[in-house]
Amino acid sequence: MIAAPTNSPDAARLVTPAMLVLWLVLATVPLWIARVGLYPYLGIEILIWSLYALAFNLVLGTAGLPSFGHGAYFGIGAYAFGLCQFDVVANLWICLAAAAVAAGLAGALVALFISHRRGIYYAFMTIAFGQIFWTLAIKSHRLTGGEDGLLKIRRLPADFGFVSFDLNDNVAFYYFVLIVFAIGIAGLWRLVHSPYGRVIAAIRQSEIRAAHLGYNVWLHKASIFALSAAVSGFAGGLFAMAQLAAFPDVMSLHQSGYVVMMTLVGGGLVSFWGPVVGVFLFLTARDVIGALTNAWMLYFGLLFMAIVLFRPEGIAGAVSAALHQHSLGALRERGNSAMRLLFGGGR
Amino acid sequence: MKRHLVSRRGVLKGSLMASVIGGTGSFFGPWQENRAFAQGPKPIKLGLTCDASGQYGNSGQDDLRGIKMAIDESNAEGGLLGRKIVWTTADTETTPATGSRIAERFITREDCTILIGAIHSGVANAITQVAAKYGVIYLNTNSSAPSEAGENCSRIKFVWDGNGTNFSKASVKNAVDSVGKNWMLLTNDYVWGHTTAAATKAQVEGAGGKIMDNLLVPQNTRDFTAYLLKIQQAKPDVVATAIGGDDIKALREQVAQLKLDGKPAWINNQQDWPDVWGAPDSLFGVFGTTWYHKLPLPGVANFVKKWQAANKDGPIPVPGNVSYNGYMATRELLRAIERAGSTNNVRIIKELENLKISATDRMQHFDAYMDPATHQMQQTIYLARRNAKPADNTDLYEIISWTGPKAATDEAAAAKCKLVPYDQVPTVDS
Amino acid sequence: MKAPIPARPKRLFDLLPHILNGLTLGLLFALIALGFMLIVGLMEQINLAHGSLFALGAYIAMQLTGTRPPLPAELARAWLALPLGWRYAATLIIAPVLVSLVGIVIELCMRRTYGKDPLYGLLLTFGAAMVIEELIRLVWGTRDYVLQVPQAVSGGFLFGDLIWSTYRFYAAGIAAGIIGLVWLLIEKTSFGATVKAGAHDSEIVRALGINLSRLRLLVFVFGTILAAVAGIIVAPIWGIRPHMGVDAVIPAFLVIVLGGVGSFWGAVVAGLLVGLCVGLSGAYASEWSLLSMYILLVVVVTFRARGLWGKKSVLEA
Repeated sequence: MIAAPTNSPDAARLVTPAMLVLWLVLATVPLWIARVGLYPYLGIEILIWSLYALAFNLVLGTAGLPSFGHGAYFGIGAYAFGLCQFDVVANLWICLAAAAVAAGLAGALVALFISHRRGIYYAFMTIAFGQIFWTLAIKSHRLTGGEDGLLKIRRLPADFGFVSFDLNDNVAFYYFVLIVFAIGIAGLWRLVHSPYGRVIAAIRQSEIRAAHLGYNVWLHKASIFALSAAVSGFAGGLFAMAQLAAFPDVMSLHQSGYVVMMTLVGGGLVSFWGPVVGVFLFLTARDVIGALTNAWMLYFGLLFMAIVLFRPEGIAGAVSAALHQHSLGALRERGNSAMRLLFGGGR
Repeated sequence: MKRHLVSRRGVLKGSLMASVIGGTGSFFGPWQENRAFAQGPKPIKLGLTCDASGQYGNSGQDDLRGIKMAIDESNAEGGLLGRKIVWTTADTETTPATGSRIAERFITREDCTILIGAIHSGVANAITQVAAKYGVIYLNTNSSAPSEAGENCSRIKFVWDGNGTNFSKASVKNAVDSVGKNWMLLTNDYVWGHTTAAATKAQVEGAGGKIMDNLLVPQNTRDFTAYLLKIQQAKPDVVATAIGGDDIKALREQVAQLKLDGKPAWINNQQDWPDVWGAPDSLFGVFGTTWYHKLPLPGVANFVKKWQAANKDGPIPVPGNVSYNGYMATRELLRAIERAGSTNNVRIIKELENLKISATDRMQHFDAYMDPATHQMQQTIYLARRNAKPADNTDLYEIISWTGPKAATDEAAAAKCKLVPYDQVPTVDS
Repeated sequence: MKAPIPARPKRLFDLLPHILNGLTLGLLFALIALGFMLIVGLMEQINLAHGSLFALGAYIAMQLTGTRPPLPAELARAWLALPLGWRYAATLIIAPVLVSLVGIVIELCMRRTYGKDPLYGLLLTFGAAMVIEELIRLVWGTRDYVLQVPQAVSGGFLFGDLIWSTYRFYAAGIAAGIIGLVWLLIEKTSFGATVKAGAHDSEIVRALGINLSRLRLLVFVFGTILAAVAGIIVAPIWGIRPHMGVDAVIPAFLVIVLGGVGSFWGAVVAGLLVGLCVGLSGAYASEWSLLSMYILLVVVVTFRARGLWGKKSVLEA
């Protein structure tokens, strides 16, 4: 838990019991997903978007910075993966690394401009940069294929030197993404609970206090943003593999807004797991309800409003309160204070 | 206005019902499938990937109306190879990522063995890639980017609309000779716009004309004032546009309002009927189409009547080129399956590659054929302008010329299109 | 494709039309931002539903001025018998009033968030914007509509060898007029003074015996009405479609951030700057014109922490 007291025993662990349970459940998904009327590809999308939302929550939840243009980095990662595959070398590991590096560099560049800004000025700068990257992606036909997309991206084999796995089948690719996702979760958990992560959380509480304690606030704000962009880009690389293509649409303001909604609805402000819960709910609901009605966003919008008004701790928060028998009131207060801090970092 | 909505909901409900009756509403569990199948041979299932929202929401739904009509006709005649045809549809949102996901869902969850429907080239490409992975046949009914039959062609994809090159070839030379040599291009800043503008430029220069400028218009532009000012300053003889969807509607209105529709002369690459119907008063210039509901050809009136009977309360009163393309593509696919006597994908592909349709059957002026090298339908291209003497309120076009497939063929496409050999296409059968 | 050598404007004189175009566009941007600015400035709340209320105004106006008004048959006949000019003028008042009812509902929901962080209001109105946009899709479908305007303000006129759109200048004139009126209301009336005081120090206002929640409701309704009016004025230029709300709220937000939170003239100047930027880039590099406003913002906010003339507010902590 992000906002949990750091003396919780889980904070020190590399792998927590909750992670183990989640991984095991996820590992059985291909065995039963068709039976509940869903399909493996949906599982792949959920895992990839979960990783992306977790990366996004480094900025929103952990650092308390309102970033509304994060789709740009997800998209840049997807393009970088494809271009690396076509123009540099068709190696899975190198190209995934390229996706993370390219998005991380873009994030670092943006961080230079925004890290000394706060509140709505920060928020709108992230929107402006998101729009700039999105427009560039559409306009650079030669590089990105414009809105036709960068096509014919292959799912490169996972080559370990002694053994190589073909990922073209959706189930094989699902397991590959699951392993990457598991490593990613463990890594992000450690990051959030590292001394660095604690400084970030302190900055969220009060920039001024953190500065007085001798921490370089600007550098921490910039680095967490770049790091989040890099992990988002890594997820974007996986998404390019899933789709066999990279399209500019994921970079649009709309799609950037979706990841904010998923994270908040899930409870990303109070819980490490919030983004995962939100993504699962959003994508599954979209698939199931979207088949019945074109207006499913109407219902999701109403749910979102209700959550903002009545359940700022989000779904993960409510569940964890039930599990740990915390009083819901206390947790809601934590959700309230987390939200307050988002726009009031310095107070 | 509310009525339109009801009809769209009706469509969705219909599709849902069809999928449940067809026994493939797998969300309700696999058990239903067996019960329904026990009553007859397994139905053939089509996935209709039509936009219901986004830039091409209207056109996507008009496409769907044509596709459904062809399916209904076939079912009324007892189905295909003794099997019923069922279908399912979902909103592809004019968004490629959604197109990918819907294609995955249709193929892996709904067991669709053929996908039909496209307006936006990005969405069409996304669907093509997924379909190609599984070897599922995909009919691109209405996406007219020349790249669809060029570098982005595929063994499993068939393209049914005329493209920007076809329309330019049918219109440009004539206009350079009769109107003037100084041309200006107004181009939507995306792939369809760019490839179409390039084709127009080549034609203009080939005919001895000159391109003064090419103004790029970002997608979703509604305010064309800056462009209209520039055009007035430059004083070209002809303005050739490659502007699509709702953008062209806005442009048409603004040009009509300022009465700029006389001079310079305007050539609009292709106008889709759903866009024209949305703003009929502002139709101007010369434009291309592949079909019109008042063509004086046998079968047309009958087709219109049948279409109207099936879409009584729809937002558009008569079928246009988009619905026509959807209908033709689907009808020819179903006939190809009948001829092949099999639902094996490669056998259907081979049938479609050798497809020849007589002018009568096609309800156009010339015989049409599927180009086996590019998988694009080679057909009659019509040029039209606003009808000064309409017979009724739907009679908006005056057809001024028709060009046969020979004169309109995009010769460069075949060199750019590389189709994979048949044995590399995964087998699909239903 | 190899681009042909473009015909760039050669003399300064050739630029004049584009500057004029940019200025009219700028006034419209300022008009769109006006209601947004009032709510941000006076309530310190970001109303992301602003664009949806803008769209709603346009849709309702289209329905009222169209051939099938949603009225009982008798009334509809009487209404349609009026000349378009009268109907248009009446619509300019009726439609915003109807939209303000929606504004009241949003404000009532928003009350739960007062005193908490403004992010609540932002997220709540983001959800409201989604809901309104989807409702618009449900009621009117996804197609584009056209708003009929009276003959007197449509068509074009000749000026300096070029044909200009009459409506554009009419719209810009109206925008300038409304901006002036709102300024007078805020700065020169006792109502304005009370509202400003209420925004900055609710304790004092309460001590003076003024009902604060009614005051806030009033301000919000006022912002909503301005959004709807802007929607009606801008609709004939941008067209009416479900997405128009998002197309409006982003520039509005941008204009406020560029001008600086809490600055009336900052927002007006920012609106004009954005308009000029879009207009001029339309002349020189048309394909980049939409991007130009974002670049303008990045440049300004990189050097000025609170936009052009922003004041300190809770929105930036």
